[in-house]
Amino acid sequence: MHLSTIVQSEQASEMTTAARQKGKRRQRFSKRIGPYLFLLPATLFMLMFLLYPVITMILYSVEQVNLGTLLTGNIPFIGLANYRTVLSDPVFISSLGTSLLFTGACLVFQFSIGFLLALLFNKRLPLVGLMRGLIMVAWVLPIVVSGTIFKWMFQSDSGIINYLLMSLGIIHAPIHWLINANITIWTVIIANIWIGIPFNMSLLLAGLQGIPATLYEAALLDGANGFNRFLYITLPLMRSTSLIVLMLGFIYTLNVFDLVYVMTGGGPVNATEVMPLYAYNVAFEQFNLGSGSAVAVLMFLLLLVVSVFYLFLTRKEEVA
Amino acid sequence: MARTSREALVSMMTDIHRGRINRREFLERTIALGVSSGAAMALLEACGGSSGASSSGPITLTLWDYFQTAGKGYLSVIDAFMKANPNIKIQRTSIPFADLKQKIIQGAASKQLPDIVVIDNPDHSAFSSMGILADITSEVSAWGQSDEYFPGPWKSTTWQGKNYGVPNNSNCLALYYNKDMFKAAGVTAPTTWDELHSTARKLTKNGVYGFSMSLVKSEEGTFQFLPFLWQAGADLSTLDSPSGVSALQYLVSFVKEGLLSPECLNWTQQDAITQFIAQKAAMCMNGPWNLPATQQGAKFSWGVVPLPQGQQPASILGGENWAITVTSSHVKEAWSFVQFSQVLTQLRNYIVQDDRLPSRKDLASDPAFQQDPNIAVFVRSLQTARPRAYGPNYPKISNAVQQAFQSAISGQLSASAALNQASQTIAPLLS
Repeated sequence: MHLSTIVQSEQASEMTTAARQKGKRRQRFSKRIGPYLFLLPATLFMLMFLLYPVITMILYSVEQVNLGTLLTGNIPFIGLANYRTVLSDPVFISSLGTSLLFTGACLVFQFSIGFLLALLFNKRLPLVGLMRGLIMVAWVLPIVVSGTIFKWMFQSDSGIINYLLMSLGIIHAPIHWLINANITIWTVIIANIWIGIPFNMSLLLAGLQGIPATLYEAALLDGANGFNRFLYITLPLMRSTSLIVLMLGFIYTLNVFDLVYVMTGGGPVNATEVMPLYAYNVAFEQFNLGSGSAVAVLMFLLLLVVSVFYLFLTRKEEVA
Repeated sequence: MARTSREALVSMMTDIHRGRINRREFLERTIALGVSSGAAMALLEACGGSSGASSSGPITLTLWDYFQTAGKGYLSVIDAFMKANPNIKIQRTSIPFADLKQKIIQGAASKQLPDIVVIDNPDHSAFSSMGILADITSEVSAWGQSDEYFPGPWKSTTWQGKNYGVPNNSNCLALYYNKDMFKAAGVTAPTTWDELHSTARKLTKNGVYGFSMSLVKSEEGTFQFLPFLWQAGADLSTLDSPSGVSALQYLVSFVKEGLLSPECLNWTQQDAITQFIAQKAAMCMNGPWNLPATQQGAKFSWGVVPLPQGQQPASILGGENWAITVTSSHVKEAWSFVQFSQVLTQLRNYIVQDDRLPSRKDLASDPAFQQDPNIAVFVRSLQTARPRAYGPNYPKISNAVQQAFQSAISGQLSASAALNQASQTIAPLLS
């Protein structure tokens, strides 16, 4: 081969590789940057409406924030003093206990009743669609409305609940649903269970409908009875749905504020003062935004622990 | 009362806001907190107030109040001021009562407070002490009308000997009673604690309680409880003294003997008057803002008398004050508006038309307040009405008082133990 042709061909091949590389680079660029551009709106949204408030909350929790310091703009850093104030307040400790009892009891009953209803509505029964729709009313109704209605129903003197229980002869003296410190927390729990059932039911129902009918047919052919089919097919396959329902339920229930506020305002004394209500009182009734933020951070940590636990459980499941 | 029913309804609505009855306004921030407390904190930063006024050319004064359905009288004061001062424009923003405190906190955070604010009088000293209100002591002394005001309302606008506002209108508590039930039982309206007790006992029968009042766990409950404490001759500084304990014990005995429903622990003032209107209670301790509602709802003859006295007569003062913020760049113009609103002809028109009570002695003697005997009783009760002027820690103090009366009335603690506990919390807060 002639030398010049070799040089020429090499030049040509160099050119094509350069062009190819350029094209590749552009491709790589669009591959690399493109996805981030698509992420941009969501990221901005997250930064503005999720990250910024959380960071502000954390900052406030270590500063002395009240009206006076906000106005001067000279907000002193006080370290963990807000946390010490909050943690040494017996009302906070009792609100933590109240919140855990409230959340725990609501979850147990909401979930089990929701599960039973989901099993029922998963059957082909007449009017099932209508019933399912009606049950959602509890979820659709504004909580201020349902809370007020519950407050009326649970009045000692004129409430319908005491009236019914007394006419049926179940009780002989009116129960002080909203003013007996030992009972009131359960009154609020009952109301919240009613509100939470449709949420649990509809998610669990969706999970049930995702289980292939063929599995049940096969089990039926193998002679498994109804209970065994539930135990060995339904329950294991509902595990991940149940976990997410419980997890979301925990977050929603721990954050319940409006229902308690409307029904009891945290009373009598502090019997129903759950953590969000306590945070609200400290921040907006006593003007101490720093301590109020500290309570919010503590709640946030509690929810974080539960979320990590949930992730741990689901990760194990994926490996298995 | 020569007013149409619609007007009555409108003024009742404003009064409901003022009386902390309507809790629906809480929904917004309720949701914010229900979803995440962090989001509420963010709202605090994110939402600004109305913009400040520019100093060039005509001046705009910004004004915040909580009159969602502002009375005609109130609006006409603002219009008249703008007519008299064509170079000053007043830009009014109305914020639901339940949100006003929060909104002021937001305004302070974003440094966008209005020039003038309407403040519920128990909060006034807290706001003064936090340094968000302008010190107008020299303006007030130059004006020289402080002696025209009732001492209670006036005291609520001062903090450590300085003036931070001017009272605008007042309210207080008195006793509503069902004249028909009283006639049937052959009793007359009570004037002392003993009479109130014995009358309530005679009237309690057939599912009717002798007495109703709110002892709810909020400022409303404190508002209703404090008059008893004062009537007994005690005060927050002597909460657990024998006379202080006697006040709480007196109320405990009402509940124990079934003269007052234990539901009072969960009743707002609105709930308490509803019991009275529905003839479930023969007497009710309540404020003048419920006069229109009672007028419309009650299917029986009724009247109002001053609160029965213990060791001494006492009622409690509620009401609204004007204040100018420390951030205002138009303190002079704002002060001229406040002064204008207190000119008797303006003030009389506003207070009579909007069914308020006067804070000024010279206005209280006006025949307009003597025509309606029930309003006259409230105006007379203003003489003994005391303000809740307990300094910047009042919200915390009030919370401790609520815990005390709630735990004694629900039977968890004795009256003396409950008050002892509360006074230990309160003592360092009363400075």
